[in-house]
Amino acid sequence: MNHSAWYNVPAWVRYNFTMPLSRMTCPACGADLAYDSHQAEKGPDGKEMCPYLGRPYSKLRAAHDLIYFGKWRKMDATTTDIRRAYHQIGRHLKAIGEVLGTKDLPAARRDLGKAVEAFQAGDPEGESPDSLRFMDHALSYAHTAIDDLLHEEGLPPHDPMEFSKWYDAVEVPFKEEW
Amino acid sequence: MISLERYPREITLRDGARLTLRPMVPEDADRLWDFFRRIPPEDKMFFREDVSRKEVVERWAEHLDYDSVLPILALEGDRVVGDATLHRNKTGWKQRVGTVRVQIAPDFRKRGLGMSMIREMRHLGEKAALHYLLAEAIEEQQPAIRAFEKMGFVHAVVYRNFVNDQKGALHNLVVLLYHMTYSEEEMSF
Repeated sequence: MNHSAWYNVPAWVRYNFTMPLSRMTCPACGADLAYDSHQAEKGPDGKEMCPYLGRPYSKLRAAHDLIYFGKWRKMDATTTDIRRAYHQIGRHLKAIGEVLGTKDLPAARRDLGKAVEAFQAGDPEGESPDSLRFMDHALSYAHTAIDDLLHEEGLPPHDPMEFSKWYDAVEVPFKEEW
Repeated sequence: MISLERYPREITLRDGARLTLRPMVPEDADRLWDFFRRIPPEDKMFFREDVSRKEVVERWAEHLDYDSVLPILALEGDRVVGDATLHRNKTGWKQRVGTVRVQIAPDFRKRGLGMSMIREMRHLGEKAALHYLLAEAIEEQQPAIRAFEKMGFVHAVVYRNFVNDQKGALHNLVVLLYHMTYSEEEMSF
């Protein structure tokens, strides 16, 4: 476990300063987490528990959220951050494709097809605002494909905000109105 | 003929509410009428038929024909909380176009049920080998329009001052389309 990003200490400490976030990579789902160790749920062994543990499609969810809360969406994102996110999206779409390859879910495949289309329209080297928009669209369609998989099993949709405290998160508003 | 083997099926909403989805049967007439009674008057203004008249709902229940109109109900226990219908033409020039209509009980809005019902309609549309799904909404129904868009429907056209409500006022009609034909190449990753 290492420390890099920072968080504000809880109010009960009565001091206003920041502490480094703890980091963990889940060996089961590969989630790359950055969190306040005081707030993290602990298992019987006293170690922090991965929040995706035991959830269906945990690898896909974790991969989605890593990108969703990624640095590429911050104002100070560098070209390297954007390029890294672009390749993460590519790998994420491939992983979804592998799962969908075993299912008879044409609507979900179509959502993934749209994600791939948006991904291919993006250009991580171009630095154009359109590139970020296309990456955003690709991730959004990927999210829809994951929700398609969950819906098919009668499960609620994946809500990244539920996991936001496990990431050095950028505020990303998400609202389902219907 | 669409296979309905997947029903009844359980779904869980974001807030943990558990619902059952299944096709409507004749015995659902009272439940469905009760559902429509709870729909706010401002929503009912845009209905094609006067669902406040029980005989209208009873007529639907008596003449169920899933190949023409397939109504999928969302039930919480015995109560209908959502109704989505897939309308199809068995023959003719629109036989590859399905029309989707979705209604959600007021206390189940903003909980993700509308999205789940649209997902269900997309699945059924695929299984019916349709080429397009079509949805219509009054422009004021923005949450519904956004839900359809999030599910891949795109604005096909907006007809200005095209439809009137039950008080005679004119409204813009938004037509949304979901394109389902694809090639194997598009679907390979």
